[in-house]
Formats: sequence, C-alpha cells, structure tokens
Amino acid sequence: MSPELQVALQNAVNGLLIGGTYATVAVGFSLVWGLLNVVNLAHGALVMLGAYITYWLFTAYHLDPLLALPVAGATLFAFGYPLQRVVINQVIRASFFITFLLTFGLELLITNLALAAWTADVRSVTTAYSGWGLPVGPIVLPVVRGAAFGVAVAVAAVLHVLLTRTRLGSAIRATASDVEAARLMGIPVAHVYAVTFALASASAGVAGGLISLSFPIFPAMGASYTFIAFVVCALGGLGSVTGALLGGLLFGLLQTYAADWLGPNFDNIVAFSALILILLVRPAGLFGRARRFRG
Amino acid sequence: MIRPAQAASGALRQGLRAGYATAALVAAGLLAAAVFPLVAGGYYVRIVTGIYMFGVLASAWNLIGGYTGYPDFGGAAFLGIGAYTTGILLGQHHWPFAGALLAGCLLAAAVAAGMGVLLLRLRGHYFAISTLGFLLVLQQLAANLGITGGGSGMNLPVARSFTGFYYWMLGVLAVAVAVGEAFPRSRAGYALAAIRENQDAAQVLGIEPLPYKILAYATNAFFFGAVGGVYAYWFTFIDPPTVFNIDFSIQAVVMCLFGGPATSLGPVVGAIVLKSLDTILTNVSLFLHNVFFGALVCLLVVFAPRGLAELVRAPEGLWAAIRAELREHRI
Repeated sequence: MSPELQVALQNAVNGLLIGGTYATVAVGFSLVWGLLNVVNLAHGALVMLGAYITYWLFTAYHLDPLLALPVAGATLFAFGYPLQRVVINQVIRASFFITFLLTFGLELLITNLALAAWTADVRSVTTAYSGWGLPVGPIVLPVVRGAAFGVAVAVAAVLHVLLTRTRLGSAIRATASDVEAARLMGIPVAHVYAVTFALASASAGVAGGLISLSFPIFPAMGASYTFIAFVVCALGGLGSVTGALLGGLLFGLLQTYAADWLGPNFDNIVAFSALILILLVRPAGLFGRARRFRG
Repeated sequence: MIRPAQAASGALRQGLRAGYATAALVAAGLLAAAVFPLVAGGYYVRIVTGIYMFGVLASAWNLIGGYTGYPDFGGAAFLGIGAYTTGILLGQHHWPFAGALLAGCLLAAAVAAGMGVLLLRLRGHYFAISTLGFLLVLQQLAANLGITGGGSGMNLPVARSFTGFYYWMLGVLAVAVAVGEAFPRSRAGYALAAIRENQDAAQVLGIEPLPYKILAYATNAFFFGAVGGVYAYWFTFIDPPTVFNIDFSIQAVVMCLFGGPATSLGPVVGAIVLKSLDTILTNVSLFLHNVFFGALVCLLVVFAPRGLAELVRAPEGLWAAIRAELREHRI
C-alpha cells in the first residue's frame, strides 16, 4: 500500500471517529432548534459543564471518564429541565432574536461562573489507556476515540428510539408541530418543552465527557463547540437525530482532511467556509428537508 | 377661525423654535464635553473616553441591528480590522495617526461590503450565527498570519498625550450620532425600515434590499473600525483575543437594546448608563463585572424585550407593561 493511500485512509478513520463526538455535540442543539425553535447559544457552555464534571470525577475520585459519562448526562439533565421550565419558557413565543439573546446571556453567565469557580487554567483528562492504539491492517485505531465513537452512536440510537418509538417522543413531536393542538390533546406543553431541553442538555453533558478524553478543557471552550454544532446542523439538516449524526461524521471528515492539508490552525476558517457554502447553495442541509417535525 | 396657511406658518415657527432649542442643547452638550478634560482628573477622562467608545459601538450596531433588523454579532471583527490596520500603518510604516485610522475605517467598511454580499442574503438565526463565525475566522487569521505578529500581539508607539484619545472618541461619537440622526430620514433609511418590517413586501414595492443592507452594514463596520483604530493607539498593545473580542459585539447590542433601538440617542444613553454601572461594579468586585452583562441580558430580554425606553413610555404603566410582555411570550 502506498504511503499516500495509507495517510488518506488513516485520516478517514480519524475523521469519522472525531465526527462521532461532533455528532453528540450537535444532536441536542439540533433537537432544541428543530423542535423548540430556539438556537441555544448556551449549548457549548453545557458541553463545558459536562467536560468539567468528567474531569473532577476523574481527578478527585479516580472514576474512569467513560463511567463518568452517565453522571455528566444525568447532572446536565437535572440542570437543563429547570433552565427551560423557569427561564427559557418565559420567552419561548417571542421572536428568534429574543431567545437568541437570552441563551447568549445564559452562556455568558455560565461561562463566567465557571471561570470564577475553576479559573482559566487549561486542564485535560489523561487515562492509563489515553495513548493506546489498535493496529488494524495498515492503519491504527486510537482506542479512546473508538470508544467515544461507540458512545456517540449509542446516544444517537437512544435519542432516535425515544423520539420515534415512545409516548414521550410522540408528545415531543406533536408539541413541536402544533403547540395549541397539543395543548388541546392534554399534553402538558411547558413540561414537554422542558423535557426536550433536558434531553438535549444531557446529550451535551455526555458530549463534554467525550471531549474531555481527547481535547483540552477550559471555561471558555463552549463558544467554538456551539459554532461547530451550528455548522453540523447546517450540513445535516435540523431537528433529526440521523441528520445530526450524518452531519457530524461529514464535518469530522472535512476537518481532518483540511487540517492535513492546511495545518491544524485553520479549523474555524474551514468550518465557516463550509457553513457559508452550504447556506448559500443548499440551505435545508445536504440531506435534508428543513423543519422535519414542523410540517 | 384659523386659516390653514396661518396654522401652517404657526407650526413652522414652532418647529423652527424647537430646532433652535435642539441646536442650542447640542452646542451646550458638545461644549461641556470639550472642556471636561480641562476640569476633570485623568481617571475620569479615561472612564468617559470608554463611555464614548461604547456609545459609538452601540450607535453603529443600531444602524444594522436597530434600523435594519439584522442582528449582527460580529462587529468586533471590524473593530479588530481597524485596530490592526492602524497598528500596522502607524507602527511599521510610520503613517500619521489620522491617515492610519481612516485607512482602518475604510478597510473595515470594504470588508463588510464584501462579506455583506454573502452574509446579508441570510436571514434570522443564519445571519446572526454566521456573523459570529466570521468573527472567529478573523480572530484565527490574526493569530496565524505573519503581518499581525500572530498570537504574541503587536506593540504600537506610545502617544504623547492621552487626552487626545478623549477628543478622538468624542469626534467619532459626534459623527456616529449625527449619522444615526440623519439615517432614518434619508432615502436609504426609509428603504431599510421597509426591509426591516417586511423584506418581501419591500421587494414587491421595488426596493432592492441587498444594496441598502450592504450600505447599513458597511457604515456600521466603518464606526467599529474607527473605535478599533483609536483603541489600538490608546492601549498601545493589541493581540487577537483582545480586539477580535465578542464582548465588544455583545456590549454594543445590549447597550443599544437597553437605551432604545432605532433611535439616534438611545444607544448613547444605554452606553452611558451601563458603562457607568459596569465601572462602579468593577471597582466593587471583578466577579460582579464579569457576570454583570450576562445577568443583564437575561433580565432585559425576559422583562423588557423591546427595550427599557419602550417600557418607560408604555401608556399602561411600567408594571402592567412588563406583565403584558411576559404573558405574551411565555408558554
């Protein structure tokens, strides 16, 4: 096998694996946007909280990061429910600009509180198996990223089943497609909105845990992940789990090949170019019908 | 019985008198601002220069966000362009400050016009977050290009007198307010109001939206660039995170909303009130300063989403207006 082909193949594997983490970052953002019609700029801050929960459980209690993921998810679920129920529900029917600004204010608040609590120090989670790689034929499979990919697919599968096969999922989709009709059917819409947001927060918490396994952690890390989530949604289309998954994988491939070609310092530029191109050429996403659950 | 002609001339005389009164007020205000550094200490001159600076940013954002209804979150991108252009021309090519500043403003406006062709076709969320992305892009470019000094930043020559910056900011603010005052009464202002209310209807009436939106966006960028240029020379050191800083964008938005969007003096009032409050809080504790704008944004959009000015003017009273606003938007 030629070395060029080997590098291209290794990049494909790396890109797909990191794409799984991007998909987990984006899936909650996509659901909140598609189902609640809120572009949640605090999403990255929730990812940051998940990363810190994983970090502290690992550093203080020596809990394996992969085992800390459910704790991060559950904590963020408990954080997200009242955030939507008490705060965001107050302006949910206002124009996009208002909800946009509110979530931006929440992002500022959460980030600055984290800064006060944990300082601006850059931290990382390094486990005994962090550097392990599994040779598969001509390429190497990084163990940590492989595990993160498995978790990402599992999160997507759970959310997909929850939304399409359960009573709660039906209620969530019904509320998204017509709030008034849902209310007349006896669906407690304020509660359903809060549960949707809490599910999205939980997935952000898990995503934060996955990120802590291979990327640095600091209070202001959230903004770039919010931006990534937005680009993934633009690629994959809104409000669907499969769209977020496909968009995430595609974005992972794009970032990895671009980093190989341009060097690693231009990732925002690549993401922005992809975003503008997609929005101008195919605004509903590469695979998508926009507003899938909104009729 | 009053004849129409008589009534008209009466109204004209009254209007003229009001015009003279306004002119006298403006002259008195400018005079007071001009003599302020002669009577106040250096600390207060610096604080007020900062207030003017945010007055310009809020007034500039008002052109695109208030009058046009396109919530730009990337204004700091143009501030950074102004700062770096001024820094490079002044520090490395020894241009006079005024020339370097003007070049920075024009480059910021030109970049905005170019990006506007792409960005201003997008609407709502897509426009807003794309402008955020554009800011991230410029920050990353500045951190990786040779001409900007990369991540280690850039030093500027130290100015002889710091009161000079007070007058530069005051001058830029006066121009920004004058533009904000003249804008809604111009042909472009009417076109942009129509675009803000209903872009498709405006288009049916024969208004081609893109050139007008580009005009508003480029003018907004011009003023952000001006602030960046003065800021760079004033602070003598710039690096990518301090000038391509999202805080500048968000503070401009909040101050404009607070004081009253789509009015000429509202953004300045917002800057005066919030920057003063922020200065007091910073003196009390740095932590309060950091959480101040986040908490303020949340409270403002929940309780006064159309701006505080609108609430104070509400005929049914402040509390009733807040309750009505809440009832309308909650679920």
